Amino acid sequence: MKTRIKEYRARLGLTQEKLAAMVGVRRETIIFLEQGKYNPSLRLAWLIARSLGVSIEDIFTFEDEESAPV
Amino acid sequence: MKTKLFLIIYSAVSLLGLMMLLSRENVYVVGAIVLGVLLLGHRELWSLIRHRRMPVIDERVRENLSGAMKTTGIFFFIASIVLLIAGNFDVFKNISTSLIIAGQLVVVGFVYLLSYHYYDRVRPSLGTRAVRVLKVCLIVAGLSLSTAALSIVLHNFFSVWIKAEEGFFMILGLIVCPTALVLSLLAGFGVYLKGLGASFQQGDPS
Repeated sequence: MKTRIKEYRARLGLTQEKLAAMVGVRRETIIFLEQGKYNPSLRLAWLIARSLGVSIEDIFTFEDEESAPV
Repeated sequence: MKTKLFLIIYSAVSLLGLMMLLSRENVYVVGAIVLGVLLLGHRELWSLIRHRRMPVIDERVRENLSGAMKTTGIFFFIASIVLLIAGNFDVFKNISTSLIIAGQLVVVGFVYLLSYHYYDRVRPSLGTRAVRVLKVCLIVAGLSLSTAALSIVLHNFFSVWIKAEEGFFMILGLIVCPTALVLSLLAGFGVYLKGLGASFQQGDPS
């Protein structure tokens, strides 16, 4: 899973702490999400996307060659 | 806020009551329970001391807690069986039962602490290879422990059979397996600490 959370967060001038408070998670969760080391639930992905003012597809990219659409 | 305060007071009073009831004879168990509470509630206590509020429980924390509970439960189950078997063979005939229970509770508390931080910080910070090394270390530790126990049984069996001191299983059970156990535990703990250290260096404050 690749994310562009950091990029969109920087555009809005949000800190990890602020974004974490906005979506109700720990700062560590945002850190691991940004590093692609944690796969969020659909609910959390939606909350983050909404907080950043973008769609889920804009910030999360699933990289799996086998399941990639033809 | 009132509910939280009530819960804290209730827990403290219950713990004190329990301590008073148990402390007359089973002082080890009381110590283990107190230490266990500190280990199980380390997140809450740390957050209360550092931030003066209860920690956030998000979906990742819930996943980590459930993983840690599962690991600790399995460990507790296996440890109980091993202790029961060992008790049946009079291994602990000179040690009081309360001391054994206390020891088990404390070890279980530490297993919970280690496994929670494994899921929360160590695993995401380590690469796939390092996680594999850690798993191999734990498997070697488990195998060497069980092989040591089996070797001692086989040594006794063959010694009675040949009516002389049997050598192979004695060396295996008393030298080779304990050495493998110590080395694998040290190596595993080293990898664990490496992952834990790396997790604290991750993430920019921006």
